Amino acid sequence: MTDSTAATQTQGQLSSAASNEIIIEINKMNKWYGDFHVLRDIDLTLHKGERIVICGPSGSGKSTLIRCINALEEHQEGDIVVDGILLGENLKNLDHIRTEVGMVFQNFNLFPHLTILENLTLGPIWVRKMSKADAIENAMHYLKRVKIPEQADKYPGQLSGGQQQRVAIARSLCMSPKIMLFDEPTSALDPEMIKEVLDVMIELADTGMSMIVVTHEMAFAKTIADRVIFMDEGDIVEENEPNAFFENPQHQRTQLFLSQIL
Amino acid sequence: MAIITLNKTPTRPAPLSETSMLGWMRRSLFSSWFNGALTIFTLYIVYITLQGVYVWGFADATLVADNRRACYDYSLTGACWAGVIDWMDNIFYGRYPREEIWRIDLGGLLLILWMAPLWMRKVKGKIWIGVTVVTFYPFLAGYLFAGGDKGLFMQLMVAAALVALPANVINMLIGLFKEQSLGQVLQSLVAKFSEDEKVQRNLMLALVALSLVIAFVFQSQWQEVAVSWTKWGGLFLTLAIAGIGIACSLPGGIILALGRRSKLPIIRILSTGFIEIFRSVPLITVLFMATTMFPLFMPEGFVLNKLTQVIIAVCLFNACYMAETVRGGLQAIPKGQYEGAHTIGLGYWGTMGFVIMPQALKYMIPNIVGSFIGLLKDTTLVSIIGLFDILGMLRSISRDVPWLGLHKEPLIFGAIVFFIICFSMSKYSRHLEAKLETGNKK
Repeated sequence: MTDSTAATQTQGQLSSAASNEIIIEINKMNKWYGDFHVLRDIDLTLHKGERIVICGPSGSGKSTLIRCINALEEHQEGDIVVDGILLGENLKNLDHIRTEVGMVFQNFNLFPHLTILENLTLGPIWVRKMSKADAIENAMHYLKRVKIPEQADKYPGQLSGGQQQRVAIARSLCMSPKIMLFDEPTSALDPEMIKEVLDVMIELADTGMSMIVVTHEMAFAKTIADRVIFMDEGDIVEENEPNAFFENPQHQRTQLFLSQIL
Repeated sequence: MAIITLNKTPTRPAPLSETSMLGWMRRSLFSSWFNGALTIFTLYIVYITLQGVYVWGFADATLVADNRRACYDYSLTGACWAGVIDWMDNIFYGRYPREEIWRIDLGGLLLILWMAPLWMRKVKGKIWIGVTVVTFYPFLAGYLFAGGDKGLFMQLMVAAALVALPANVINMLIGLFKEQSLGQVLQSLVAKFSEDEKVQRNLMLALVALSLVIAFVFQSQWQEVAVSWTKWGGLFLTLAIAGIGIACSLPGGIILALGRRSKLPIIRILSTGFIEIFRSVPLITVLFMATTMFPLFMPEGFVLNKLTQVIIAVCLFNACYMAETVRGGLQAIPKGQYEGAHTIGLGYWGTMGFVIMPQALKYMIPNIVGSFIGLLKDTTLVSIIGLFDILGMLRSISRDVPWLGLHKEPLIFGAIVFFIICFSMSKYSRHLEAKLETGNKK
């Protein structure tokens, strides 16, 4: 792959921060798009501080899975319990879960009509009811963490893709979530910008954040993952700790997938 | 491959044909013999047209005369502006009592004073300026124009307007000189009295209440002679109907558009039905319905004056058109924006109010202003149901004995007035678009 691979490899593997406390539990979850069975009998647990990387060919349902966790998509069968709260019909629960679960998208989804600072303070002010001054201080703190405090007064359209994605990460962090979901955060970026985003994510992982990451960056997966999950056609096909997963894949489909992308 | 050059190729100025006026003319106007001939021919047509207009409208025109005959005595080939000038007060104010006309002028000035800060870059709290002008100004202006006895509700709203207007002016001055908002200044003043946030809030509330009481007492002393709506007319009436229509149709349209996209079936069906019914009927039909049929459905003794009925009809009709415009804007917003808003925990109203609507309305500015211009021009239809708006007044000139048969000049004058208003609206919308552009076309 590109430079990013080399960069992340040199950092070596991060030590695990996983505890015994379960923060996400998914039981026999099924989802259909019309007649199409997208997710089949998914079982998954995420412990506090644990980092899971999900990979698989496109159309395998990995994005849909993490979008179900913060209820951007509805599932039809099974239970999803996030931070002790069952995801269901109750809208109050839904709003609560969304404030505890941060999400970063492939296309950033920043608000183009607001400045970077306004993007970062919108949630804290109106959802977390922070005072404006506190929200700005909070936002500047996270902008420094993603290393672009000088861009605070610009609009998203004036930033590069990598910078926008780092802003998106900071925007999620401003809500002080307990879990971060990443949906292919580097897929829409030029190769030279992938590294800056991955570096921010590695730093975040280092602070003990619980994370689920859908990505094709395998070197990155090796660096941060406590567990790697391989999905194909709506099933979780294989699950293992990273070294074993990459060096000794068990399932035929995993072997085929890894041979194609490595 | 070998290295082709070690040095950067130096920048040179563009050729003269790209930068000089002569080059532009040669490329755009005289690129061939045929195009050159076309250019000259077109210029000739423009010349004879303008020259004709100049001779008729200026050189040979009559500005002062007692009647149409006198105009002809002065010149047969020129315009007779004397009739228009003689009727100028009627064109602008209708049959509003002449000694009360200052009330209309004052109302217009107050509106300009209230809205002017919206154009000033340094002034803060523009949202509040917009909100107060839409909620309170109509009542203040309504009383100013109509006069007479005030009901309790009217008294309250007029009092609120009398608080909001000076507050707005002070806010503008503070904005211009200190680049702060009135709220910020008051906050820091109040903070000097007490550290406790609760005490601060109570102090602020007390301040607002006190000024409301003062304004209420003041307005109860304020009496204006009643002027019946039947005396309203001219450009004043046109602008009053169009202004209220514009102020109602945007919020109404937003609510209807959201209703039409709602997940709740009853709200969706009601909104859709309402929009489709009003949109499939011509405005003139709605106006006739409002003035002749609406009273039949009302309980006996319930009388609403014709002007109010017309205004309600115009508001509803235009809200439905606006709803479709806004819906178009909403559809242009990518799904990712909703998802981005959801992931930072914003609910439905937060998502719509902070993320979706501001973007949708920005995309829709040309269409929204287009609707406003259409609305303004459509209000001339009220002359058909017997209100004397500017068009009604202009047409009355030709029926006035001294100016019998004078059609051309009043209508041309009306066209100029409409052009000035509509063109300024259009210009302002271009200015807004440029101002709101944030360098992201995504």
